Amino acid sequence: MMDIFLCLKQPSRMVDSKRMRMTSNFQWILLTFLLLYLMNQVSSQKKRTPHDLKCVTNNLQVWDCSWRAPSGAGRGAAYEVCIENGLHSCYRLEKNTKIPALSPGDHEVTINFGSSISKFTLNEKDVSFIPDTPEILNLSADFSTSTLHLKWNDKGSVFPRHSNVIWEIKILRKKNMEIVKIMTHNTTLNGKDTVHHWSWTSDMPLECATHYVGIRCYIDDPKFSGHKEWSNWSLLKNISWSSDSQTKVFPQDKVILVGSDITVCCVTQEKVLLALIGSTNCPLIHLDGENVAIKIHNISASESSGTNVVFSVEDNMFGTVIFAGYPPDIPQKLNCETYDLKEIVCTWNPGRPTSLVGPRNTSYTLCESFSGKCVRYKRAEVPTNESYQLFFQMLSNQEIYNFTLNARNPLGQSESTLLVNVTEKVHPHTPTSVKVKDINSTAVTLSWHLPGSFAKIKLLCQIEINKTNSVHELRNITMKGVENSSYLIAVDKLNPYTIYIFRIRCSTKPFWKWSKWSNEKQYLTTEAIPSKGPDTWREWSSDGKNLIIYWKPLSINEANGKILSYNVSCSSDEETQSLSEILDPQHKAEIQLDKNDYIISVVAKNSVGSSPPSKIASMEIPNDDLKIEQAVGMGNGILLTWNYDPNMTCDYVIKWCNSSRSEPCLMDWKKVPSNSTETVIESDQFRPGVRYNFFLYGCRNQGYQLLRSIIGYVEELAPTVAPNFTVEDTSADSILVRWEDIPVEELRGFLRGYLFYFEKGERDTSKMRGLESGRSDIKVKNITDISQKTLRIVDLQGKTSYHLVLRAYTDGGMGPEKSMFVVTKENSVGLIIAILIPVAVAVIVGVVTSILCYRKREWIKETFYPDIPNPENCKALQFQKSVCEGSSALKTLEMNPCTPNNVEVLETRSMVPKTEDTEIISPVAERPEDSSDVEPENHVVVSYCPPVIEEEIANPGADEAGGASQVIYIDIQSMYQPQAKPEEEPENDLVGGAGYKPQMHLPVTSTVEDLAAEDDLDKTAGYRPQANVNTWNLVSPDSPRSTDSNSEIVSFGSPCSTNSRQFLIPPKDEESPKSSGGGWSFTNFFQNKPND
Amino acid sequence: MSRREGSLEDPQADSSVSPLLHLEAKIQQTHSLARLLTKYAEQLLQEYVQHQGDPFGLPGFSPPRPPVAGLSAPAPGHAGLPVPERLRLDAAALAVLPPLLDVVRRRQAELNPRAARLLRRLEDSARQARALGAAVEAVLGALGAETGGPRPEPAAAAAAIAAAATGGVFPAKVLGLRVCSLYLEWVSRTEADLGQLAPGGPA
Repeated sequence: MMDIFLCLKQPSRMVDSKRMRMTSNFQWILLTFLLLYLMNQVSSQKKRTPHDLKCVTNNLQVWDCSWRAPSGAGRGAAYEVCIENGLHSCYRLEKNTKIPALSPGDHEVTINFGSSISKFTLNEKDVSFIPDTPEILNLSADFSTSTLHLKWNDKGSVFPRHSNVIWEIKILRKKNMEIVKIMTHNTTLNGKDTVHHWSWTSDMPLECATHYVGIRCYIDDPKFSGHKEWSNWSLLKNISWSSDSQTKVFPQDKVILVGSDITVCCVTQEKVLLALIGSTNCPLIHLDGENVAIKIHNISASESSGTNVVFSVEDNMFGTVIFAGYPPDIPQKLNCETYDLKEIVCTWNPGRPTSLVGPRNTSYTLCESFSGKCVRYKRAEVPTNESYQLFFQMLSNQEIYNFTLNARNPLGQSESTLLVNVTEKVHPHTPTSVKVKDINSTAVTLSWHLPGSFAKIKLLCQIEINKTNSVHELRNITMKGVENSSYLIAVDKLNPYTIYIFRIRCSTKPFWKWSKWSNEKQYLTTEAIPSKGPDTWREWSSDGKNLIIYWKPLSINEANGKILSYNVSCSSDEETQSLSEILDPQHKAEIQLDKNDYIISVVAKNSVGSSPPSKIASMEIPNDDLKIEQAVGMGNGILLTWNYDPNMTCDYVIKWCNSSRSEPCLMDWKKVPSNSTETVIESDQFRPGVRYNFFLYGCRNQGYQLLRSIIGYVEELAPTVAPNFTVEDTSADSILVRWEDIPVEELRGFLRGYLFYFEKGERDTSKMRGLESGRSDIKVKNITDISQKTLRIVDLQGKTSYHLVLRAYTDGGMGPEKSMFVVTKENSVGLIIAILIPVAVAVIVGVVTSILCYRKREWIKETFYPDIPNPENCKALQFQKSVCEGSSALKTLEMNPCTPNNVEVLETRSMVPKTEDTEIISPVAERPEDSSDVEPENHVVVSYCPPVIEEEIANPGADEAGGASQVIYIDIQSMYQPQAKPEEEPENDLVGGAGYKPQMHLPVTSTVEDLAAEDDLDKTAGYRPQANVNTWNLVSPDSPRSTDSNSEIVSFGSPCSTNSRQFLIPPKDEESPKSSGGGWSFTNFFQNKPND
Repeated sequence: MSRREGSLEDPQADSSVSPLLHLEAKIQQTHSLARLLTKYAEQLLQEYVQHQGDPFGLPGFSPPRPPVAGLSAPAPGHAGLPVPERLRLDAAALAVLPPLLDVVRRRQAELNPRAARLLRRLEDSARQARALGAAVEAVLGALGAETGGPRPEPAAAAAAIAAAATGGVFPAKVLGLRVCSLYLEWVSRTEADLGQLAPGGPA
């Protein structure tokens, strides 16, 4: 072959490079064919001999070897197989042979078939180890727990040595054999046939679908060096639930752990439409046939009656209930103790609620390991977390108990243990039947009942002794326990005639717990003689003849019983006088004594006996050097101090009384040891703002001496009333005020002064508010001299009202105020000056004016009062004289046949009449009958009597020539423009007359004005002249007047005067009955007030 | 007639009152009792449903109506029967109901041990059903109708339902609901039947 290869290869060296690539490919193809040819030749040679020797084993002891028979060898051909394994072994066999397992290493195997001989090298490494297919002995199911139980035999006896075996088990479900699970299970071969069990719990109830199980194995023999392979799968075995035709839901009433998953199925022949978990819809998982399942993930704790799972079919409904809960918690706070050493009570808390009740509730079992006894907790529904308890009967001669409390429910169990020496865990019952008996006035016996077998231990009991108004006292007593449960002790150191309340509790030694307190037992101890005499004091009566003995009742602790009476006696050097027995509650006695020295003795008596006597001397040592002092207390008491006096050999006595009470002054007294120099006097009777008198007595052998007299307050308050004050004297610039003292009861403190306020003001206007607010208009005087009772206020204004306020104050505050209004007197001098000065000034001014006027009289006359020609001299006019005399009759200004020389009308009048202030109705134009018809109230009557006629002599020469005169009307339109109609509507004024009309229309002459126009004016419905000139009074004596009394026409002005210039406005004269004030005359400048 | 629980006052006690008035009073009292118990039965049903969990309390939930041994719902033709016959059927049903209610109460005591009000209502209902049945029988006696007749044995019915109730919790809940419903139906039926006899009624 090599030659051929070389021959083929050489020519290729002679071609160029491009050709070389093509030639190379060709050479490879040829080479391949050549190889195939050679292999075929070899194979053909092999096929003529036994070949392909293979060996497998299933038990490691026997190898099962096989080979391919040579071509032409018929069935049943015989082979001679020889194995060189130290011993030359030859076997005459057919095609296959089982040979014992060979030792590790190569072994030559010769197979002779006729003339052909095949030789093989056989090694263990070339052998495959394939275990036999396992066989399931049994497959069973526990439907209640959805558990499959598998049983098979490992056939370990066929294996020569121990080996590990891996079993692989597969679970298939439903008829289409869906693989649900493949799991492994490890065992060991031990040389013997062993039946193995394996269980598996399905997540789906086994009733829901058929379950299949298969198994295979893999033997891992560490010494076998060949190929190890899995066995074949066993035959499948199945479990199915033989259902009747009824629809059922699985599992039924299952208890599962909260948070776990569960599959619920409905085995039915009907089509399931809907599945509900509680109120939640669930997707259906279809199983074989119409069977369906639902899967619940992470289920939450169920309510008491469980979680309902419901499947709905066409016309029915099927369901089950699942109880999701927790396994029992470890019992907590397990405690075992005994009340009476007869029975042990163990208590515990269940811990976390299990959410399971009824038959699924946790059951408890308490077991004691030494005795092996157990007690079971009888199920009773108790509120969650309430303490459970179990009673365990104590065993004789056993003190130490090892308890184990086991809690169990369908989901699991837990336990708690406790080792206890029960004699150290005694919690006695509450003592009962407490009784008290007398021993004497200071001791009693106390007995009670305490159930229990305490004979072997000691008891520690506590007695609480309560006394009225006193802190309670606890006494501990240790006593030996007794069998009969009755206990008795003596309680001493009590007070006589005192109500005590006893109660008892007990524990044991060593201490564990106190029992509850027993019921209280009240008891009154018996009486004893009073321990001391009463505290006494004496006072001489006001007439000095009788001595009054006072004593205080003994306190309860001192009386030792009910005080029935007192015995008072007085003794002197010569005699002893005993008074009759004084029954309680009288606490004073009066004895008539002379001025000798006596010792007074007072003894208190109760039913048992008399107290030691209290003695006091009757004599009072005078003290000339006595001053009254002041003191203020601290609210609830008052501190009194004094200097130490060695002469005082017995107690000091301070007595006090209300200063406003009548004699004798004795509210209470207090005795202070002779070595004291101060004391605080306290009394419930002290009241703030009340003045008390305190008297300090020193005690000598002979008697008592008053050392100090003090008035004081425990607390000062502000006065309740204001000082009563009056005004003693008033002048133009001062007021003298006097006030009275405030009574002590209303002063309520030591008077420190007065505050006097005053300000200008009248009653009802000055309220003197904010006296302390620093108002600048209020003057304040602080009177700190309390002896001052008057005050003069100076620098006041005359004839002025003043508001006076007075208030008193103490250290306790300001008292109320009292006020008064006073008016100072008028200042006469000032008044006189005030009158004289203006008068003098007026006189001087008058004189000076008169002189000046006199000296300038000509000029004044010319200027202000020129001569006026007498109109009566005018023949043109004849006035009735009575015109201006107030007659209400019609006055007519009749025009005498006077021919004026000239009439000059100064008024410039347009064709449209403008507003005029006055209107003088021409007697020609005015018709009397019309005037009479006019209602007076419809026409303002204006009296117009021009008192002064200002003349303007336009042409003096012409005047003097007489004959002709000029009447000048001055248009006052320029002065009085009000009520004027707009000039744009002149025609309306004339014709319509709806607007304002001049108050007076002054026709200059009857000929000048058109009479028709006059008629039109009268007919107008608008404004009428306010003044009816017919009713005007010409009150001015200077006015020209008509002489015709029958005429109702009043003339105005004097058209026949010479040149005259006059304001034609009627005077506003209120006194004129016909005047409405609508007129005005020049005289107003002089007659009326400036304001008018 | 011996006095029994729930029986009405003996009308013979006051001979001065006419027997007719006594009968009227008896019917009126029994009718009032039935009306009261109808209200209680409604409350019992409501309380029962509340404690069974969803979907029992959901609107539209219509659980199966399993047959109750010895007791059926009032027949549709019940109203067409003569009044005494109706009352006889009422009395028979009311006699069967107390042991059934007792069985329901016992099962509920396991399921809802803390539902004291439900348990008390079930206990009271059994007693009240017994009292109403006795009162109806008294009315029948006063009417002169026969009170006897074939009727199911209460104890046997109770045993049957007890066996059914132990099958599973869900069927027990459904059965309890059925018993409570039957109780309401029969009490209200009795009220209606007595209303036919009561003064002012259609009869």
